[in-house]
Amino acid sequence: MVGSIHIGLAALGAAIGVGLIGMGASSAVGRNPGAATPILVQAILAIAFAEAIVFYALYLAPK
Amino acid sequence: MLSRYFCLPLLALVLFGTSGFAVGANAAESHGAVAAEQHEGVPLKPAILFQVGKFAVTNSMLVTWIVAAGIIVAAQAATRNIQPIPKGAQNFWEWLVESLYNFLEAIIGSDLVRKTFWFFATIFIFILFVNWFGLIPGVGTIGWGHDVNGHFEVTRPILRGGNADLNMTTAMAMVFFALWLVWAVQANGVGGVLMHIFGPKGESKGIMRIALIGIFFIVGLLEVVSILFRPISLSFRLYGNVYAGETILESMSTMVPALSWLIPIPFYFMELLVGLVQALVFMLLTAVFTLLIAQHEPGHEGAHH
Repeated sequence: MVGSIHIGLAALGAAIGVGLIGMGASSAVGRNPGAATPILVQAILAIAFAEAIVFYALYLAPK
Repeated sequence: MLSRYFCLPLLALVLFGTSGFAVGANAAESHGAVAAEQHEGVPLKPAILFQVGKFAVTNSMLVTWIVAAGIIVAAQAATRNIQPIPKGAQNFWEWLVESLYNFLEAIIGSDLVRKTFWFFATIFIFILFVNWFGLIPGVGTIGWGHDVNGHFEVTRPILRGGNADLNMTTAMAMVFFALWLVWAVQANGVGGVLMHIFGPKGESKGIMRIALIGIFFIVGLLEVVSILFRPISLSFRLYGNVYAGETILESMSTMVPALSWLIPIPFYFMELLVGLVQALVFMLLTAVFTLLIAQHEPGHEGAHH
């Protein structure tokens, strides 16, 4: 029970974070299509850091 | 022409990886009984196929060997008879290697990419093909098992996605960590690396600079913790994504028995995408970590600060 809430909250936070990053990246590409590759790199890095939270929660959650 | 270069590092990587496996598999031996009891879902650990002395060969090791051998043979066969105007397989490898080279060059610069390209290209191509190999129907579903409640259950599949094994991803992350240290020292020297981590940054002068030294020393301690956490997060990210993908595919195909052929199909497409993105993320993160430490003194394209 505790573990499920723990993972659920982490997943919620990571999903919001990934969504915000995706929103920012797509609007940035919309404003400046020429900078698509550097924006993609920044976005993928930021998404990777955000989604890593879920994995930490998965492994650290009390079973 | 470049594709010949990544055969050797690939071999070295697999050897490193398997030495990681050997340790992990020995540790996993005692938990073999736990994995056998678990019928629901994909087990967290790979299953041991057979043992050579103390060296246990697991099903995910077998997959990494098959994929590495496939890549090496395909690359060698395609570049055996190099034509000035490439076509067919040679064209494919040249396209792959050149696109990767140009992509990395734009991110980490032409000096660094010349020195480190072999590693990043190897890791990208290897992770990508291991991830996609794990999606082939039959991987994880063909093997030894026994009857559970009247239906057959595979408990010891002969193949298992190579990155759905924490030993493999940890081995790759550790290889990168060692290389990162070597590249950092080569680029800036031991003092330069310490200065990069602990030294004061920015353009302060006089009394402010002396006051900032203490603060930046403590920041450096935090930086060391974050550096030490990188291999853990790299390996867990890749393992977690691939393992979660396998679990999703398994649970989607057992959810509605009558539609077990239809429901997993969209998820297969998602896993194709995840396999590519995770290979890209592993390569990008390792490349950016290398760039951050191997960068010369501030002022030289200070984009990443």
